[in-house]
Amino acid sequence: MSTTTNTTGRIRRTGLRGTWWVTALMIAFGLFTIWGLLSLVIRGHGVCGQKCILDTLNQMFRVATPIAFAAFCGVMCERSGVFNIGIEGQMLMSAMVCYAVNLFSYQGLKNVMDPAAAGDMSRWLALVAGVISAVLLGSLHAVVSIKFKVDQIISGTVINILAIGITGYLYRQFLAENLPPGPGTFPIFNIPLLSKIPILGPIFFEQKPLTYLMFILTFVIQYVLFFTPWGLRTRAVGEHPRAADTLGVNVHYMRYVDVLAGSAIAGLGGAWFTLEAVDVFNPLMTNGLGFIGLAAMIFGKWTPFGSLLGALIFGLGSSVTSTVSIFRPDIPSQFPQMLPYILTIIVLTGVVGRATPMAAGGKPYEKQ
Amino acid sequence: MSNAPVAAERPTSSFRISLLRLWDAFKMPALAILSAFILGGIVILITSGKPLTVLQAYFGLVQGAFLNQRAFSETLVKTTPYILLSLGVGVGFKTGLFNIGVEGQFYIGAVSAAWVGVLFPGLPAIIHLPLALLAGVIGGAIWAAIPGYLKARTGAHEVISTMMMNYIAFRLQEYIVTWLLKDPSAGLVQSPPVAKAAEVWTLYQIPVRLQDPLNALGVALVFAIIALLIARWALGTPRLREQVETAGQRRIVYLVVGVLVFLITFFGLPAFTRVWWPFTDPYDRMHIGLFIALAVSVGVWWLLWKTTLGFEMRTVGANPSAARYAGVSITRNIMVAMALSGALAGLAGAVEVLGVTTCRCVQVSFISGYGWDSIGISLLAKNNPFGIIAASFLWGAMGNGADFMELNSGVSKYIISLLQGLVLLFVAAPAIVRWIFRIRAERRPEEEVPLTHWEVK
Repeated sequence: MSTTTNTTGRIRRTGLRGTWWVTALMIAFGLFTIWGLLSLVIRGHGVCGQKCILDTLNQMFRVATPIAFAAFCGVMCERSGVFNIGIEGQMLMSAMVCYAVNLFSYQGLKNVMDPAAAGDMSRWLALVAGVISAVLLGSLHAVVSIKFKVDQIISGTVINILAIGITGYLYRQFLAENLPPGPGTFPIFNIPLLSKIPILGPIFFEQKPLTYLMFILTFVIQYVLFFTPWGLRTRAVGEHPRAADTLGVNVHYMRYVDVLAGSAIAGLGGAWFTLEAVDVFNPLMTNGLGFIGLAAMIFGKWTPFGSLLGALIFGLGSSVTSTVSIFRPDIPSQFPQMLPYILTIIVLTGVVGRATPMAAGGKPYEKQ
Repeated sequence: MSNAPVAAERPTSSFRISLLRLWDAFKMPALAILSAFILGGIVILITSGKPLTVLQAYFGLVQGAFLNQRAFSETLVKTTPYILLSLGVGVGFKTGLFNIGVEGQFYIGAVSAAWVGVLFPGLPAIIHLPLALLAGVIGGAIWAAIPGYLKARTGAHEVISTMMMNYIAFRLQEYIVTWLLKDPSAGLVQSPPVAKAAEVWTLYQIPVRLQDPLNALGVALVFAIIALLIARWALGTPRLREQVETAGQRRIVYLVVGVLVFLITFFGLPAFTRVWWPFTDPYDRMHIGLFIALAVSVGVWWLLWKTTLGFEMRTVGANPSAARYAGVSITRNIMVAMALSGALAGLAGAVEVLGVTTCRCVQVSFISGYGWDSIGISLLAKNNPFGIIAASFLWGAMGNGADFMELNSGVSKYIISLLQGLVLLFVAAPAIVRWIFRIRAERRPEEEVPLTHWEVK
């Protein structure tokens, strides 16, 4: 399909992983396996009928959404050579801002227009505000790690701790008690014709908006990274900034824009928590999903489709475990939950398909 | 100062130089902390609208952390795991490794220690306590050695693999507590309480514990070993080296010091603590883990700066290509550093579970949240063991004073995380602090360890 430079000086075809049809095939195969496994495990302990299995798979996409956004953020940042482990913090920040803006803008808007429209309006407003907040934190990361050339992992750590502090503080001061009723989360949006398809409909097309956005973004990022001059420059900056600089690419500018774009995506991931999943905000509610997103990214070898696949595996682990634990409380649920993490380590070590990071990843660029 | 040239040759001047060095080392962190507190004050001012609240909050923080014995003990209790975990992170940093997984190693250490603590009822404390601590150390070391091995052999980036190991550790701990080691009589899901002999002593218990001659023997042995180490150090100083010249004389000194200290503590300490002991509050949770942590910090300092292994580790961290050129095995040093790092984190978990938890057991929701804090502490202290003690104390005090501050002033205790984040931001990007205080950049480059700038070939 496309050729990408994955390591310095070595061009190799990304023949298998990272192309859409393989991803689709693996997803189909995975779904089939899960179907079989679920019915096998649960047999004799109650009935997990078609509805229950479809729900599990539907939930898989739902849970995978924030992980995929985090992974996309990681792809954008790391393709340009900037490690970003502050994704967790950015998502937390965005989740809090989304919740607050959603709640308070609704109080103003519902006096002006009818409640349903006000709810819609405030949710979209909240989404925008959340993305902006994540971009602000991302710009801090960008300035500290690109301009001041602080180690990027340290900078990301600082972002995480700062985000915990800011969100926790504002939550306790303003969002903990005496709250007016808010407009709630996005409703499920059934895509008109497609949701009528027998099995695929309930799985894919009865989701909330951000989940659809996840699918769309996968294609968009794939296109931008691998089929536009912009993407070529981004990848060049991540692999060999000196060479890119010699050819007239502004390394720092590319990195700034890519980190900010990535942060915006992380903001979408944060919005999922308070605009799609639940209608409350808790301190630390992102619960490590940002880090899991990084794992998904590595699992997918820094490609959008691979990241999506990685996110789906994590989502599957979580949704299957929750279904199984309803029917079989006597099975330890911890091992299936461990499995995605173990898989990530295995992929990282290169036992099965080596994951090679960007050559210039994590190194600040000194212009000469 | 008419005799200035003469004074320059005296030892006082070297003292002044070391003072200046100390100031140099402390200047940037101190300014970072100061600016963070000022900025935090501004945030409180904006969100509350009353200048008095800022004072109330900061005073409440100090009061909650220091101003009575129990509060102060609690601060020290909080400081202990911070010291051990940050030492773990720091050892990794010095070798150029970013061990994000101290939290996971902490869990594994806690579970292993609890397991050993339950497993052998009836052992005397002199064996059981060290055994349980050792179990924690080994558990943590193995857990960290896995990513270390993967890094050394396959180049798998340790940031991601230790992060994954964190989650696996958390699930493993949950599994062990829920299925293998569950206390059937407890209402909550938790492991059975460890044997009395495996507990880390609180200071309150010491007089009672010392009545058992075996315990007194153990304490006396520890004191004697410490005394011997001090004697060895003292004999190495220039003044004493002139007086005690031969090996035979030295042996006599060691023998006298060791036996004397052993006898005094073995017979004197139990009697002494029975007569006079300042820690009479049974709810005071202060435990001997702090002294273990302090001793371990000295040990880590000695290892890193006074031994060949430490020198090799620091070389690998500072300049891996030079290390390889000089014939230092990078692979071996990575594994040793990771294992050591995990051992320290595991010890922290063991001490926490054997000494601090109310049930002396592992509960299923045993979440410490110490992991990120300790990375921050290590950054603030620039990975120096003694700096780590100071920074841990600061973090412990802030964490402990936070609740009282919230009660006192109504300012949310999460302001602490905000302050800590700001401190780290300023420490990580000293350019910001320099810009605020108009300090010119230092002439000599700071000793910085580049992270992850190399690949295993």
